[in-house]
Amino acid sequence: MKRIATRRGPQPDIPTASQGDIAFLLIIFFMVGTTFRASQGLKVVLPNAMSTERILKKRNTQNLWIDKTGRVSVNDNLVTMPGVTSVMSEKLIENPDIVVVLQADKDVPYGYVTDVLEALKAARALKVTFATNYQMGGGG
Amino acid sequence: MAISLRKRGGGMTPSIPTASTGDVAFLIMIFFMASSMFAKEKGLKIVLPEPGEGTKIKPENILQVNVSSAGQVLVGTSLETPVIVAIPELRDLVTKRIGANKDLAISFRVSRGAPYRVMVDVFDQLKLAKAERISLIHVPLIEEGGGQ
Repeated sequence: MKRIATRRGPQPDIPTASQGDIAFLLIIFFMVGTTFRASQGLKVVLPNAMSTERILKKRNTQNLWIDKTGRVSVNDNLVTMPGVTSVMSEKLIENPDIVVVLQADKDVPYGYVTDVLEALKAARALKVTFATNYQMGGGG
Repeated sequence: MAISLRKRGGGMTPSIPTASTGDVAFLIMIFFMASSMFAKEKGLKIVLPEPGEGTKIKPENILQVNVSSAGQVLVGTSLETPVIVAIPELRDLVTKRIGANKDLAISFRVSRGAPYRVMVDVFDQLKLAKAERISLIHVPLIEEGGGQ
């Protein structure tokens, strides 16, 4: 009868010394690639557009929501049209390069949007982006 | 009386345990993942004019794009009868007009009752047509009357 000889060597183990480094690398990735949720906003369904462009300097953006019933929200506070002007004037003092991202529901009557645009104009917040979802098929 | 300063024991070197560094780092990572979001702001850019700012443009250089409350798009200069244009055809029409007249400015007027998505669709077509001089006309509530 044959005996199967088993070698007794060192116990196999997975090195975990670099685990911390990998985790910190991931933290740095998340810190750079993400932003804190400043506000929850209102529930909106954005329209689609083929010429949708990315906003490069995300730190300069200020979101403004208009839901389909025409309610306007900035920083999780419902505001009136004069309120939009005063809030945006304050924001512009803090950061003159601010870009207002208008997150309006696709079914809201345009009247609400144009009134908000006038309020922004009065506050001299002139850089505006109509938030949209990218739709394929734009071509050149 | 002499005090003995001799080290007791000796032998063992002090060390800070680093076994939990990975756990701590993963905990911080989970915090960042839960409390932050990828910035994905994107949309159609426009620069509004300063209040009271206005430039005079010759009527033949203004292409009027009007959107009715029903979502119909009417296009034409003030010197011609406006025609109803389907939204997907707007890009080619505006491209041709700009090709024929480099100084063409677009006066974009949307009815207060029109859905916002129609405005975005038309604005998208104008952007795709590489129209650079777009003026968004504000329609006051008094002017148009009725509801929104």
